[in-house]
Amino acid sequence: MTAATVTLDHVPAMGAAFARAMVPTHRAAARLPEATVELLDQRQDPERLAAYSRVCGFTLKDAVPPTWLHVLTFPLHVHLLGAHDSTVRLVGAVHVSNEMTMHRPVRADERLTIRVHADRLRPHAKGALVDLVGEVSVDGETVWEGISTYLAHGAHTPGLPEALPRLPFSPAEPHGRWRLGPGLGRAYRGVSHDPNPIHTSKVLARAFGFPRPVIHGMWTHAHALATLEARLPASYRVSAGFARPIYLPGTVGFRTEHHDAGTDVIVTTRDGAKPHMIMRVTP
Amino acid sequence: MNHTVVVVGGNRTPFAKAGGALREASNHDLMTAAIDGLVARYGLAGTRVGEVAGGAVLKHPHDFNLTREAVLSSALAPETPACDLQQACATGLEATMYLANKIALGQLTHGIAAGADSTSDAPITVSGEMQRTLHAASRARSAQARVKAFSRLRPSHLAPLAPRVEEPRTGLSMGEHQAITGTRWGITREEQDDIALASHRNLAAAWDDGFFDDLVTPFLGLAKDAILRPDTTLEALARLRPVFGGEHGTMTAGNSTALSDGAAAVLLADADWAAEQGLPALARVVDAEVAAVDHPGGADLLLAPVAATGRLLARQGLTIGDIDLIEIHEAFASTVAATLKAWEDADHCRSVGLDGPIGAIDRSRLNVTGSSLAVGHPFAATGARIVPTLAKLLHARGPGSRGLISMCAAGGQGLVAILEAV
Repeated sequence: MTAATVTLDHVPAMGAAFARAMVPTHRAAARLPEATVELLDQRQDPERLAAYSRVCGFTLKDAVPPTWLHVLTFPLHVHLLGAHDSTVRLVGAVHVSNEMTMHRPVRADERLTIRVHADRLRPHAKGALVDLVGEVSVDGETVWEGISTYLAHGAHTPGLPEALPRLPFSPAEPHGRWRLGPGLGRAYRGVSHDPNPIHTSKVLARAFGFPRPVIHGMWTHAHALATLEARLPASYRVSAGFARPIYLPGTVGFRTEHHDAGTDVIVTTRDGAKPHMIMRVTP
Repeated sequence: MNHTVVVVGGNRTPFAKAGGALREASNHDLMTAAIDGLVARYGLAGTRVGEVAGGAVLKHPHDFNLTREAVLSSALAPETPACDLQQACATGLEATMYLANKIALGQLTHGIAAGADSTSDAPITVSGEMQRTLHAASRARSAQARVKAFSRLRPSHLAPLAPRVEEPRTGLSMGEHQAITGTRWGITREEQDDIALASHRNLAAAWDDGFFDDLVTPFLGLAKDAILRPDTTLEALARLRPVFGGEHGTMTAGNSTALSDGAAAVLLADADWAAEQGLPALARVVDAEVAAVDHPGGADLLLAPVAATGRLLARQGLTIGDIDLIEIHEAFASTVAATLKAWEDADHCRSVGLDGPIGAIDRSRLNVTGSSLAVGHPFAATGARIVPTLAKLLHARGPGSRGLISMCAAGGQGLVAILEAV
């Protein structure tokens, strides 16, 4: 099987692809799109980066955060999962974990080539897991890699169900608290361009089974990374496991733990009893 | 080039609760009042002081040059230069050290350190979106571009924003942070209420003795610290409900500092210059050390002064037993109790890089004329309140008496200084 590469000449608009990606399919066995999609030589928008940094809590710097690079790959995620040859749809697909590697600091004025492909379709007790694998390069040098793992509810693929790897969690008193206002979902949509209405609309959130709008996991991830900010080394890996959704408006707790393997930022319920997200930075 | 720096004296306004007798006074008004009282006390009217350094924590944008503007409103000669300086609650003490260092280096013969804060007149600002829109509109070159800039505004952007009283990186207020520290260190309600009671009793006794007659100047009809409750009792303190740490919390309005209005100023001078001028010299400024903890990494937010104290004593070849009087800023009674426990805790002291515990102290040497719980705590003013107070106390004990000031500050910082009577 040789996978083709499709080069897009502009960032795909997410509206139509998103709508398509929301429509469930009824195939017996799930199928992934085989192509790699890419965008060449993309300029980063400094104003959008500034707004993104404000919404997520990053200090605006010349070097961009890895979660920003993830945001730039996201339209390609939607494009892939909205493709006609994909049976794994974003509807009912939950972003369950994310891994990124910064190979070196990336400056905001660098032009980026962005590639994404789908990989490792595997069974899970509730459906199928799929990785969307992204790569950002500058002049042929890979500077960032990301793997976003989605759980597609109800999708079928043969094999023994695989469990998600989970970082250990024990309840503890939070070091601090984040108060997330009702407008946060809309503010993050403004900078991430993620059109998913479960983050902004009460009515549609309810239609998808959530009592209130849910903040994007990647906002939580970004905000957790922002608390470490200046302590991050020049190159590092960061992984995040999304345990349960955070509803808007809402208040959550967080704490930081330093250990030999690296640093964890753990976002919990406000009493510290249950995890929302566990993030680990490894040098 | 190493000149001896002495505290000549100080002056402050009485301190009042937010919304109290000083509510109409801005930071500018308060700082000017503190400086003018000092100028009157030491005959500096119309003279050029080497430099005035001061600041405020809750600062209005139009106060970008607060200290210089206060100098221009004061009786000092307009040729007196000034600079603004801010280190949260350590501002007044940091301003003192900034000038003391310049005097020690021979760059100045004398200077005034000051701090002012009004929580009654705290700045209310517009939202970030509103601010960016107004900037974009003012940059616009055509009416159309201006309209476009404003078209991005939403009703929610119009709401005014009160100043945030929480740590930006944790979203917790200082009191909530201290509640975590208090639990971690096992600080009881009784310990805290004892500290609060002692603060009020000591302050009341000092006022009765006339101790503050040459340290405080009445302002706006207020002659005495308005937060002071001379008649408070342990029973009255025990009846108060917890305000931090949840319903089972131990921190109350009685053992936490009140939001306050006030200003303070200190006159510092080269010892020889002060003698030539016939000015008194209460105590010399020996040394100071600043420290910070792993924040927001979970360290106790208000215990940074522990490391600073240990390093400062070591550098001076002193132990805590060599210190006659100790001033620990009472951000909360719990902060004082936790600081004293941390001083005695060998493991904690080693964990912040010290060789061993700092040690236990005799509580009768602590905050002997009261501190922030009873006086109030207009953030930037407190350091400039404590320096002349301690200098006067040491002077009364006789030459060679040593005192230590420990101040915690927002962002997990701390500043500690040593004075010695001359």
